[in-house]
Amino acid sequence: MILYTYGIIDSSDQINGAIYGLEGACVYNIPYCDIGAVVSELTAPIPNATESSVLAHEEVIEKLMEHFTVLPVKFHTVFGERDGVLSMMQSYYKDFKNNLDRLRNKVEFGIKVIWPSDKIKKHIINTCRKSNEKVSVPDDSSNKRFIRKKFEKYKLNEEFEKKANKFINAMDTFFGKFAAEKKLEKLKTENLLLDAVYLVEKNNQENFKEAFRHIKSAHKGFKFLFSGLWPPYNFVILPKNSDLLKDSVQEDLFDKAIQHQDLVGADKI
Amino acid sequence: MTLNSVVETDFPEEFIEEMEKTDDVLPKKIDANPENVEKGLAKLVLTLIELIRKLLEKQAMRRVDADSLSEEEIERVGETLMKLENKMKELKQIFGLKDEELNLNLGPLGDLM
Repeated sequence: MILYTYGIIDSSDQINGAIYGLEGACVYNIPYCDIGAVVSELTAPIPNATESSVLAHEEVIEKLMEHFTVLPVKFHTVFGERDGVLSMMQSYYKDFKNNLDRLRNKVEFGIKVIWPSDKIKKHIINTCRKSNEKVSVPDDSSNKRFIRKKFEKYKLNEEFEKKANKFINAMDTFFGKFAAEKKLEKLKTENLLLDAVYLVEKNNQENFKEAFRHIKSAHKGFKFLFSGLWPPYNFVILPKNSDLLKDSVQEDLFDKAIQHQDLVGADKI
Repeated sequence: MTLNSVVETDFPEEFIEEMEKTDDVLPKKIDANPENVEKGLAKLVLTLIELIRKLLEKQAMRRVDADSLSEEEIERVGETLMKLENKMKELKQIFGLKDEELNLNLGPLGDLM
């Protein structure tokens, strides 16, 4: 028998109502002190993540979120026996408690923004040409021509980044008003201006959605992707320097689940 | 399925395309084995040289921007950077390496370059 784990919840009580997980097995809570690990039993290991298995995992977590604070466990976290689960709970108890307290009544939203990078670059080039700034290096040798070309590229990138920062700051100021925590990644590709996740109080989620609608309508020419509400995949913090992580098979128990999130999200797209 | 989470966008293909670009083009670990050890080692060494070359170039650009280089210095810096870039192109060709391969994944810190 294999125990497949979905998440850690802020309750040691049994779950009311039947929730079915992978292989259609009923999920239940393994209590430890005042928290619990929600698991279901599998007859055999899952060889690979499939769309249906990832969705089943996500669905269980979302159902749990209706009644509990949940720390979503990474997809495909399994234990051979109940003692293994309890041992993990014992090792991480304090961290789990801290995270559960911090994430209580909060959910995660994802925002991605594509901007018209080609147009932005063309605009910068045209502006630079007009002002003819900083290209006063005379092109009387191949070495100097090389430097001038490099310098033009350097200035273009600098301006490009400045513009990206300006847009991101404007958006983030707006979203940030309604978020408790955030993680932003700028220009993961030239087109992908922003890839952000925000942790939002449940009672602030409508304000957050409204802020998104406002930003979207104010930035014509930009493309937006809004996702959520998610369990707080990206906001569970475990100490990296802890020995707890070294000898455990659960090394990346709460690894950033952005891929998982994308996989789940892909179905909705 | 009764998932509550939604993904809203009018441009799903474009976001998928961009996210695919950000997916690991780089291996998490250095793939060294008896068959490719030479290439693996070259990749590692050239990545570090490329990092230093980029830092040198950036520093030079900052100095050009600050007008702190004389004409003579610009000439010399230009020659050095050009030779360095050409030599790197040559070495990449010899070992069959592409620009995007010259990088290292530093785990939680992201990519080296």
